[in-house]
Amino acid sequence: MPKQILSFTVNGDKVDLLVPPYVTLLDALRDEAGLTGPKEGCGTGDCGACTVHLDGKPVASCLVLALQARGRSVRTIEGLGTATALHPLQDAFVRHGVPQCGFCIPGVLMAAAALLEEHAAPTEEQIRYGIAGNLCRCTGYTKMVAAITEAAGMIKKGAAR
Amino acid sequence: MSVMKTTRDVKGVGLSIPRPDGPDKVTGKVQYVADITPRGLLHAKLLRSPHAHAKIVRIDVSKARALPGVRAVLTAADIPELKGKPASRAHAVLAIDRVVFAGQPVAAVAADEVAIAEEALDLIDVQYEVLPASVDPLQAMKPGAPPVAELGTEADLSEAMAHSAVAMAKGETPTKAVNVSQTAHVKRGDVAKGFAESDVVLEHTYRVPMVHQGYIEPHAVLAEWDRSGNLTLWASTQGSFNTRSEVADVLGLEENRIKVIPVECGGGFGGKIRALCEPITAILARVTARPVRYVMTRREELEAGMPAPQVIIRLKTGVKKDGTLMALEGETVLESGAFSGTVLAVSAVFLGSLYKWPAFDIKGSEVLTHKPSVAAYRAPVAPQSIFAIDSQMDALARALNIDPVAFRARHLSKPGDPMANNQPWASMGAPEVLQKAGAHRVWKEREAWKKGAKPGTLRGVGLSLGGWLGGLQPTGASVKLNPDGTLSVLTGQVDIAGTNIALAQIAATAYGVDIDKVKITTGDTDVAPVTGLSAGSKTVYTVGVAVLQAAQAARKQTFEIAAAELEAAVDDLELVDGKIVVRGVPGKGVTLQSIGKKGNLYMSKVEPVIASSHPAFSQQAPAFASQIARIELDPDTGEVTLKDFVIVQDVGKAINPLAVEGQMQGGAVQSLGMALTEGLVYDDQGRLTNPSLLDYRKLTAADLPNLETVIVEVPSPAGPFGARGVGEPPIIPAPAAIANAIADATGVRLTEAPLTPERIALALARRGAG
Ligand code: FES
Ligand code: FES
Repeated sequence: MPKQILSFTVNGDKVDLLVPPYVTLLDALRDEAGLTGPKEGCGTGDCGACTVHLDGKPVASCLVLALQARGRSVRTIEGLGTATALHPLQDAFVRHGVPQCGFCIPGVLMAAAALLEEHAAPTEEQIRYGIAGNLCRCTGYTKMVAAITEAAGMIKKGAAR
Repeated sequence: MSVMKTTRDVKGVGLSIPRPDGPDKVTGKVQYVADITPRGLLHAKLLRSPHAHAKIVRIDVSKARALPGVRAVLTAADIPELKGKPASRAHAVLAIDRVVFAGQPVAAVAADEVAIAEEALDLIDVQYEVLPASVDPLQAMKPGAPPVAELGTEADLSEAMAHSAVAMAKGETPTKAVNVSQTAHVKRGDVAKGFAESDVVLEHTYRVPMVHQGYIEPHAVLAEWDRSGNLTLWASTQGSFNTRSEVADVLGLEENRIKVIPVECGGGFGGKIRALCEPITAILARVTARPVRYVMTRREELEAGMPAPQVIIRLKTGVKKDGTLMALEGETVLESGAFSGTVLAVSAVFLGSLYKWPAFDIKGSEVLTHKPSVAAYRAPVAPQSIFAIDSQMDALARALNIDPVAFRARHLSKPGDPMANNQPWASMGAPEVLQKAGAHRVWKEREAWKKGAKPGTLRGVGLSLGGWLGGLQPTGASVKLNPDGTLSVLTGQVDIAGTNIALAQIAATAYGVDIDKVKITTGDTDVAPVTGLSAGSKTVYTVGVAVLQAAQAARKQTFEIAAAELEAAVDDLELVDGKIVVRGVPGKGVTLQSIGKKGNLYMSKVEPVIASSHPAFSQQAPAFASQIARIELDPDTGEVTLKDFVIVQDVGKAINPLAVEGQMQGGAVQSLGMALTEGLVYDDQGRLTNPSLLDYRKLTAADLPNLETVIVEVPSPAGPFGARGVGEPPIIPAPAAIANAIADATGVRLTEAPLTPERIALALARRGAG
């Protein structure tokens, strides 16, 4: 199948890629754009390791065809913080010792970031449902929930200032 | 050792310090095998058998070979190393003339792109002659069952050795049963007499299906050869030296020709110890003279990984009315899949040793079936064995109307008591853990809490206690002083659980500098001192000792250099804030920086400070955990909601409490998964019916409450700073804790995991009808 041009915005930058039409957004990001932060844990939409934002909404990028992202805006874990500063969620995850093997973490963080954009002060239940699509086998989720709660507070405080 | 005197507490052991790889992990910078793409990379795919048992009549790969972009298509006939019958799963690189489980690799492809490799698989034509399969382990033991093993294959005990050196008599007579690959038998006293004198005799059969370790990163490996015949493997492994040995064995290669680079491992839990896809990837790379990467799909992981064995345990126990234990009879069947390799002895030891049965008779069999062969899964066979014995203890206490904690405490073995294999229990904190759990609010307030149940719902509280004997393996570590006064620690230990920060903390405290002055590196097999598996809860317990000794030796070297320079006795020196000073003589001293610098200066006569240690071990440190579950249960649907969950665990000494808590919580959720939702389900043809994470249900954040951790510290005699293994104990107690909570809520005892709503509702309905 002939390759097609995919023009879209990735982490704020305009990007043109040449991709075959059957390629998923996950593979295009990883193999063509060199962004290996999003992970493949299942390829079937069940683990959340590949979660990225598409026009601000969290999606399982293994279920999205790359060409569906034409003209749209994608944000990956590489674009969550800045080159020099961690996003409050990332910072809280480090301090709470959340990452163990780390494989689920990029997906969990993108799901959590989307949650906080929707609910500035989520309840524990909202947090737990917000990351329910992300499987983690190492942490038991308790420290994740605590870190997300704390990050939400930090963001609010930052906004108030 | 006098130089061990510390005059000031350094920042090291005992502090909750986040692991140093955190920032790279939260930014997506950390590279796993699938993220590494060298120039000229080829992608591998394996064609797998759809049948559990079949003869391979013919394989035609000609069309696949002709596909543009395909660089190699291999069958067993193309690989000279694959001659005889495979002795183990690692040797079963590609099936030779018979497949023995659905998902067994039959042919391998390397191609320019994954999509091309997949297309090539479709073009391979295999003709099978399907044979009857042994699918159920109990049926497989019966005469006339379809045989699994090739004649002449031996029981594989390396798994047992790797995890927990359990000394035990092997079965006394070689068994005749066709698919029984290992037997074990332990007994003491007169069981028949014990049952005859018992007032209450309970018998249950407990069953836990095969479960998958569930690491989120599937198996992955990247292989490349140089022109001199040296192989480099970038592997997702729990033990790079073990991977090297196994691959060398399969390929008939000298070990020093293989370099294993342990890439960040996205979870293993026992499933990434034994070689699986490394040999075939190495062979494809050799044939194509290109780097080849193989990443398993989730479906392949579930269908053809190395899950935990199915465990079936029949337990019969007799007690007196006053709670006196009389006799225990047990029969354990471990389903090992197509190749032998379970830790049979662990089960018997736990069934017979945890409580003081005056008479017991426990027989164990490992049975082969036409399913993927199994491997370790965090405390292999312990959760299943504790599910049986702890459920049984709980049921006895309830039958006798005795407080379940008091009943356990009365009969619990203590250090020095004989285990089932007649070795004495080593120092362990089971009594302290049980006592702490029994005193916990969630347990103490259970009656009041149960009374608060909403109409139409039931409430229950369950507690259980389990443990792990602790693994051992020789290991090495080195510590060196850098020219700026910082320390570098080198091991070959793969860090999955946060062990590297704990090891660095041990080095900091043992040497006498703050943790921010210590950097630890996991080296590849060419440069690192030999190191064991990251498994069996033994990294901190054993590698910690090597690091401790190396740091102490480096400190001694440093002090000797300082003593010569200061013209003082070593005993008069102390290390304060990076400076070695003469006690009581302020101002007279030499900095670590200057000692480090002189060890690395052109024409300098001062030796560099480099110390290593390479201990072997003989003393295990058993570690115990108790878990308390508060549940709410809907009797109509059978649905269980976990309201509170407490983990009480003896860790000996928490080197890094933050990392310890993470281990306790993560292990508990795997334990709860085994209790509530997980199980590989096979049809009667031996095919997996739930090969996706949609159908193989793992617990999510929404299924769980916050998990409370209570750390108990009963120091081990031989561990660094008294530490014990931390990883395995938390995966052990939950199946029993949940079953006990369900029994508490409903009066019904469930014995088959996972304890799903269907099973619970059915059991309640059956009781209602009966
Ligand atoms: S890889 Fe996309 S959901 Fe698992
Ligand atoms: S940290 Fe390992 S899967 Fe989440």
